[in-house]
Amino acid sequence: MSEELAVEVKNLTKVFPTGLRKEYVVAVDNLSFEVKAGEVYGLIGPNGSGKSTTMKVVLGLMAPSKGTSTVFGYESGDIQARNEIGFLPENPYFYKHLSGAETLKFYGKLCGLRGSELKDRIADLLQLVDLEDAAKRRLGGYSKGMLQRIGLAQTLIQNPRLVILDEPTAGVDPVGSRQIRDLILRLKEDGYTVFLCSHLLEQVQEVCDRVGIIFKGRMRREGPLEELIRIEDQTELTLKGASPELLEQVRNLIESDGSAELVEEGHPRTTLERLFIRIAGQKENQKESA
Amino acid sequence: MKRPLSQVTKIVLVALALSAFGLLRAPWEDAIRDDLVENQLLLPPPAESAIEQMSQSALMGTLGGLRTLVSTFLVLEGFDHFSLKDWEELRNTYQIVTSLEPRDENHWRDIVWHLGINATANMELDKSLPEFERKRRFQQYALEAIDFAERGIQQVPESAIIRQQLAEVYREKLKDNCKTAEVYGDLIGLPGAPEYVRRFHGYFLARCPGREQEAYDYLMALFREGPSQHLPTLIKEIQKLEELLEIPSPERIRAVPRQSPAQRRASKNTLPGGIVIP
Amino acid sequence: MNESASPLQSPARRVAAFSLSRISTIAMSTVTQLVRMKTFYFLLAFALLLFAVGNFNFASSPAQALSTLKKVSFGAMDLFAWLFAIVATALLIPRDIEDRTLYTILSKPVRRIEYLLGKLGGVLIVIAISLAVMFVICSFMIIWQQLGYIAAEYDTRDIRTEQEILASVTLIENAGFRGELIYAAYASFLKSAVVASVTILLSTFASSSLFTIIISILVFLVGHAHTMATNFWLQETDNSLVVQMVLKVVKILIPNFQLFSFSEGIVQGASVASGVLLQMSGITAAYLFVFLLISLISFGDKEF
Ligand SMILES: Nc1ncnc2c1ncn2[C@@H]1O[C@H](COP(=O)(O)OP(=O)(O)OP(=O)(O)O)[C@@H](O)[C@H]1O
Ligand SMILES: [Mg+2]
Repeated sequence: MSEELAVEVKNLTKVFPTGLRKEYVVAVDNLSFEVKAGEVYGLIGPNGSGKSTTMKVVLGLMAPSKGTSTVFGYESGDIQARNEIGFLPENPYFYKHLSGAETLKFYGKLCGLRGSELKDRIADLLQLVDLEDAAKRRLGGYSKGMLQRIGLAQTLIQNPRLVILDEPTAGVDPVGSRQIRDLILRLKEDGYTVFLCSHLLEQVQEVCDRVGIIFKGRMRREGPLEELIRIEDQTELTLKGASPELLEQVRNLIESDGSAELVEEGHPRTTLERLFIRIAGQKENQKESA
Repeated sequence: MKRPLSQVTKIVLVALALSAFGLLRAPWEDAIRDDLVENQLLLPPPAESAIEQMSQSALMGTLGGLRTLVSTFLVLEGFDHFSLKDWEELRNTYQIVTSLEPRDENHWRDIVWHLGINATANMELDKSLPEFERKRRFQQYALEAIDFAERGIQQVPESAIIRQQLAEVYREKLKDNCKTAEVYGDLIGLPGAPEYVRRFHGYFLARCPGREQEAYDYLMALFREGPSQHLPTLIKEIQKLEELLEIPSPERIRAVPRQSPAQRRASKNTLPGGIVIP
Repeated sequence: MNESASPLQSPARRVAAFSLSRISTIAMSTVTQLVRMKTFYFLLAFALLLFAVGNFNFASSPAQALSTLKKVSFGAMDLFAWLFAIVATALLIPRDIEDRTLYTILSKPVRRIEYLLGKLGGVLIVIAISLAVMFVICSFMIIWQQLGYIAAEYDTRDIRTEQEILASVTLIENAGFRGELIYAAYASFLKSAVVASVTILLSTFASSSLFTIIISILVFLVGHAHTMATNFWLQETDNSLVVQMVLKVVKILIPNFQLFSFSEGIVQGASVASGVLLQMSGITAAYLFVFLLISLISFGDKEF
């Protein structure tokens, strides 16, 4: 038995006419991929490579010029297909005049939720994205990260099987993007299917089961993340408290082996991003203990 | 999702759909319009002459369904002309106002009052103009007032207030007793016409040369309606006619005049001959 | 596969193909939006205008003062209704597209026609509420002035007969408040509904709000003129065939807004039969239905 497919895109081509003349931009070029139910799939590629366009076709906001796209077997754009999807657009804006809770209520009602069911759902989601304190404030006063989080809550309102996120961490600071990444991991644990895209490799690598690398509208590489980034013939050792003598011994050991070779040696550095998170984390701890 | 139609295809489709709808609704709408015009709910379009005279903004307003707002604004403007005694402008403004709202008798009455009473009075007093010019303009304004009144009556045939104002012009300014009597005669029985027009018709008929007998018969008929009509002026008028027509004394009236509340304070509003204006 | 899997493994419950509750959700959110944009503040301006007109005495008689007050109030109500219909409709839909709010709405199980109906409904609800409030304000003003004038007539009791006073009072009452005036407000409402549907149709094609607003106003103006134009030129023989053709095309493509000016007749004292109201409601419904359907030609497969 084959696994159920959340998204199936076959030979998708999307062409945009530009200007008055018969000129075209090929945004997506004969793209095929599938997202299996329950996995986190990442589409990565530089700006303008066609990621958002692909997502809009999957959602039915755009029609393919060629090819097909289905969601859980429904044709993209079908009202039932949309009921299975929660979508977070890139740089989302919601009605500024609504508060966080009202925003969720609005989208919940659009999905047919009512009464106490809707109320409970809103409370759960506000807790999930850590916006309980800001629930009554208008979105006009939300920060970028808060908007992204309320947007994420909005995608989940009808408990859809498939969550589509377009650049979920764009414009969010490292702490915020870590929160969002943790959230995505939680969604995966809970059994949601996640289809996300980004142009930042390292953001994708922590959450995705499989990635597709798209460039100029075409799929260049695709597969499980591990496979894509592993350098098969190299091994990394990280030691702590090693004496110069021990290191000398190790070097000698390597030299004595005919086939192995020492490529690099030095102190590992933490990434700027990790440092930032650690500092921000310490500040929080100090505040709490004070 | 299906392939989207091209913009050109869409525009053609929309135009076709609109035309089909337009053809279907045209007869229905024409019928409704005729119905509305017949019931005086919709004004017929303003006359061509009004369109020519209308300023750009007034025309736009009319087209945009702001007819009443524009005409109210013009009435305000007319009030301005009136306070500046700019009678020509005032007339032009009301030309437009009455074309915009021909069914509003107030506009007709107002311009008849402005031209027939105010403008003519101004000509009697205005010392800046030479005598002959004042006389010429007095005539001109009075005639224009009459013209407005007649057009107004055509538009609002049942209007009492236009005729009352017209009667006043004939009575006060042109001193045309025959015409005055005629207009009061037309007023009788119109909705909203005051009671006194019946008597006034008789009083002025009595002053119209050659129609004294007619006036006598008419006033006697009024007198015979009962004591409610036995007003001092009526009795006095009848008695004057009895003298004039040499009615034999057995047929002459012997009546005590009824006291009317209007009588007590009537000194100012009395016409020559003792006719009291209410 | 595991049967006791989380509910996420099973398909979502089916959604209705067409849902009034989704429409009303969008409509109510539109109302909230307009209310929080402080739209209702203009009602204050309206009250002030009426107060000024009521107290500015340029009329030659009480009846005329009342008639002016009525004309100004219902003229202002009408102006508000159609202008608001155009501006609100032309601003709200493109704004949803620009802010990408529409992405999130249309990625939920919402049909595009439901979205358009919701927006239209929201704008019309705000117009209806405003007209109702303005109607109450102006009725209050008219009745208040009317009672004042009537009292003044009775004050002249010692110099005029009872009959004469009664005649004047009747004149004032005829020019004063009538229950039927509410149909004038209703006429303005119907007119604004048709204007809004025209604006929706235009905004599905247009790329900017400004363009939509300008063209809508033009359509509105021409919609008042075409009966006049047909009367003027179609009957005269010295017009070229081309002119006649153009006029006919205009008559067919552009709604006849002049019909909706029957409010003016009501304000001036004509009485309105229920048949007329039914017919006008019917033709308004036809306009809304057809224009929304036509909007779907453009909006139904529009890409965002
Ligand atoms: N509506 C449109 N009309 C014309 N061209 C478009 C349209 N939408 C996208 N494009 C073009 O299609 C290409 C792909 O755009 P897309 O938004 O899918 O890229 P992306 O991968 O999401 O980029 P980014 O990382 O910047 O979000 C770009 O060259 C863009 O200019
Ligand atoms: Mg993008």
